Amino acid sequence: MSHFFTFISVSFLPAMTLLIVIFALYKKAPVYDLFISGAKKGLETSLEILPYMIGIFFAVNSLTSSGFLNLIDKLVSPIFTFLQIPCEILPLMLLRALSGSGSYIVLQDILEKVSPDSYAGRVACVMTGGCETVLYVLALYFSVTHVKEMRHALKGGLIGYFVGIVVSIVICRII
Amino acid sequence: MMNKIWSIILIASIIYAFVNGSIASLEAAITASSTKAVEFVFGFCGIMALWSGLMEIAEETGLIKKLSLFLLPLTRLLFPSQKDSDILSTMIMSFMANIFGAGNSSTVFALKAMEKLDRQNNNSTIASSDMCMFAVVNMGFAPIFPLMTLQIRNELGSSEPYSIILPSIITAFITIIVSATACRFFERRS
Repeated sequence: MSHFFTFISVSFLPAMTLLIVIFALYKKAPVYDLFISGAKKGLETSLEILPYMIGIFFAVNSLTSSGFLNLIDKLVSPIFTFLQIPCEILPLMLLRALSGSGSYIVLQDILEKVSPDSYAGRVACVMTGGCETVLYVLALYFSVTHVKEMRHALKGGLIGYFVGIVVSIVICRII
Repeated sequence: MMNKIWSIILIASIIYAFVNGSIASLEAAITASSTKAVEFVFGFCGIMALWSGLMEIAEETGLIKKLSLFLLPLTRLLFPSQKDSDILSTMIMSFMANIFGAGNSSTVFALKAMEKLDRQNNNSTIASSDMCMFAVVNMGFAPIFPLMTLQIRNELGSSEPYSIILPSIITAFITIIVSATACRFFERRS
């Protein structure tokens, strides 16, 4: 089963490459020249996003290393206990919005404490899948545009994020 | 908005670190963060260039347009006023890469789509409705096989590592519907 999933995921790039190159040859396009000019644009985009990434990593690392996240944990956990939501998922809930790689470290932490098959463990996993790194994604996406005013992108994203948390808590009780 | 969030996070963290006595580890983490960001972007720029190269071929030959026909009903629903088929197909590629669990590839397509939307928006400093909708919906797409999570579950001895796939997909699905509806609502109101 696991091999099958991995196979599908790792096949995406090679299969697309095959399709693109064969189709281009059929259309008699200058494949290699097009590839190089596209790659050049891709590198320019990478350089463009670098300052934004430094900004995001700066904020996320400050937040986690200062212990401020633990403080919020302590403040909010009574509410969670009252609602019968496992407190273990709190750090993940807070960090997931900001950082993808950071949240995997937190997820691993949680699953080491509680079993991956426990209720809290499953909620943590579903939340990692169902909630996205809203702030990180917005900062990254808009970094290649001239936009300074994101309008409702942030509100929309955060509403989705919140709903994602609630749904993962509820759905793990049902399924 | 980013201005506020960023400053609040930094100020709160730094003041708390002073109070808490964790200023040394904060300093170390801040210094490391800049290196990490550079490593991340440099690690990413290879695959970024590679996909951009492939995409250039697919765009010029018209393949992208053909592929995107599959998901056209979905995009019609989300972006009713978007007429540019090139933009639509780039967005669709990003959705598809996400679903297949190719996160980095998805990011590449997303950035390309955002660049194109920016041009269509005349490089305005105010985001277009389609930009907001695209960003919000695309971040909601969960991979059908969340490989990282499955791997962690496996390592830590889960007896049924795949039991989270269905709930994850349902959660992502509901999230997308809610956030797309929210975006549409805010669009109409503004």
